Amino acid sequence: MAKELRQIAIYGKGGIGKSTTTQNLTAGLVEQGKKVMIVGCDPKADSTRLLLGGLAQKTVLDTLREAGEDIDLEEILTEGYRGTRCVESGGPEPGVGCAGRGIITSIGLLERLGAYTDDLDYVFYDVLGDVVCGGFAMPIREGKAKEIYIVASGEMMALYAANNISKGIARYAKQGGVRLGGIICNSRKVDREFELVQAFAEELGTQLIHFVPRDNVVQRAEIRKKTVIEFDPEAAQADEYRELARKIEANTKFVIPKPLTQDRLEEILLEFGLLDI
Amino acid sequence: MAEQTKTKKKRSSTIVHSRYGCAVGASYTVAAIKGGVPIAHCSPGCVEKQYHLLTFNNGFQGSGIAAGGDMPSVNFGENEVVFGGVKKLDAEIQSALKIVKGDLFVVLSGCSAGLIGDDVSSVVKKYKELGYNIVYAEVPGFKGNNLYGHEVVVKAIIDQFVGDYKGKKRKRLINLWSEVPYFNTNWRGDLTELKRILEGAGFEVNVFFGPHSRGVEEWKSIPKASFNLLVSPWVGLDTVKHLEKKYNQPYLHIPVLPVGEEATSEFLRKVVAFSGLDSSKAEAFIEKEAKEYYYYLEHFADFFSEYWFGLPSRFATIGDSAYNIAFTKFLADQIGLIPVRQIISDNPPAKYRKELSELYHNLSEGVSAEVEYIEDGYIIEQELEKVDFGNSKPLILGSSWELDVAKKRKALLVEIGAPIGDEVVINRSYIGYRGALTLLEKIYTKTVGG
Repeated sequence: MAKELRQIAIYGKGGIGKSTTTQNLTAGLVEQGKKVMIVGCDPKADSTRLLLGGLAQKTVLDTLREAGEDIDLEEILTEGYRGTRCVESGGPEPGVGCAGRGIITSIGLLERLGAYTDDLDYVFYDVLGDVVCGGFAMPIREGKAKEIYIVASGEMMALYAANNISKGIARYAKQGGVRLGGIICNSRKVDREFELVQAFAEELGTQLIHFVPRDNVVQRAEIRKKTVIEFDPEAAQADEYRELARKIEANTKFVIPKPLTQDRLEEILLEFGLLDI
Repeated sequence: MAEQTKTKKKRSSTIVHSRYGCAVGASYTVAAIKGGVPIAHCSPGCVEKQYHLLTFNNGFQGSGIAAGGDMPSVNFGENEVVFGGVKKLDAEIQSALKIVKGDLFVVLSGCSAGLIGDDVSSVVKKYKELGYNIVYAEVPGFKGNNLYGHEVVVKAIIDQFVGDYKGKKRKRLINLWSEVPYFNTNWRGDLTELKRILEGAGFEVNVFFGPHSRGVEEWKSIPKASFNLLVSPWVGLDTVKHLEKKYNQPYLHIPVLPVGEEATSEFLRKVVAFSGLDSSKAEAFIEKEAKEYYYYLEHFADFFSEYWFGLPSRFATIGDSAYNIAFTKFLADQIGLIPVRQIISDNPPAKYRKELSELYHNLSEGVSAEVEYIEDGYIIEQELEKVDFGNSKPLILGSSWELDVAKKRKALLVEIGAPIGDEVVINRSYIGYRGALTLLEKIYTKTVGG
């Protein structure tokens, strides 16, 4: 029986740790024997560095620019940690062309070249911070990712971005089948962070699927171009990512988010975001 | 007395039977300049479509040395959208400079380049600094129609090619701004007639487009002219206002193209009065032209007064602002026909509509009409089906889009503007002294079955 492919898009404020979380989560899934492909949708092309042990990969758009349309899948798809398939969409030179259209072009090319094989369990799209135009919403359009997780923290701007992204999801949810699977909190150790993000998630109508604590082992692993699971399988943090992988594997709660008004968002911040003195 | 039509202005979200091109259609403004070479920085279909509306299905006007199928084009594709189109533009400019013998190259950037923010100016600057006559104009279709594009291109040439000027002005030299090349189907013939009569009245005339222009050399002489003459309801106003500021050049705006002896003689007298030149040469010319005009009209009158059956008495006009008001006024004022439905189809900017509508309130002594602004051919057809043409033969001045409704109304259709798909136009004119007679020939040939 053919497996059901789960296509998942990871969104969140720039710098919040989407790529780190996605790769560590992927390591947790492949450890369970899952077959995963990661499609980096950020012109910076740094979504697969930890799985590949470096930034050696040529992006789809670089290849397209140099070789034209006549390219093989092997030129743009590289296998990384435990057979994870890694693709970087890449982008034009900064300040030139259209990065959004670049993502549309890359995903279209991956489909044509047959990257979406039947043996895959998961495809993750790691999308750059803000959904600035239609191109960056490509992964959640009809026929692509149906599940979205937003990486956030207890910081004001991270929640603001998460709320904004939810507006985009709500729009696409009405047209297609895309649903929000939950908020992943990548802790910044702010006051009452767990309660705050949980309250925010509930208000959105979704769940705080996992609270990933802050741990310097992540940084140490990153410097060595590895995921935590590969770098230090015994670390407590490795178990956190394994737990996140398990929760995503078992998740059944997929909702159309109900974005908050600006006033309500600020109320929640006031309510939870300040420690009682 | 004309019938007053008070139908409320209709708006629709879609347009069928479009009567104008998009901004990048201004590539034909460039093609109309002797030695002008457009370089299309857009997808090939964009300019191809402009060709079909503005020249091919508009009197089969042809396209000169570097337009139509020969226009240099970047052929913007997906790679250009993603990575930017400037590299390909650079290569295209190099090729165009090598292959096409031109005097002035104009890069026209379309929608895709506009959306992704291609820095076209920096590419063009490089070639300008190498000494080539090259300018650029940003004319994405989402900014407006070909009339908008026309003014952007004219301004680009003035600012980037003609440049600054501090020298003297020549008293008799004037810049003539009028019909939009290719879009106004009779532009060649009409500009020829305007130049002829203005020269007859004692002026030297920069005409800029078509066979009687000296090409780019003439464009260079723009600042030397004593004033700008704009003969058009609104297209060109931006240009003459810009020139007023840039070269301290006054302008005379005559909104209605002169058709027939009375209007043309009055037109010449206005221009002469504005110039401050002695009017004796103009008066002698007017006298000679009037004599010839009425010689022909006298003989036409035999037919006009005798052959009374089957002649139209009421007419409708569908067309762009310039042709619409010009021919409506001529038929109402000089031929005594009754204007019953006038529809302007080129979507003039709101700020010009009040003055434009006013022109219809004084077509002739005691003759007034209400003009409507409708772009959608479907609604135009609906409107024409409702028109009361009385008991006489209906006359519709329009485009080829009116063929069906004209047939339905058993009307005479005289095609005056874009698109015209069933007539070949070479140097025809319907304005001035001579063109008016051609227009009468055309209308009344129809009445006798031609």
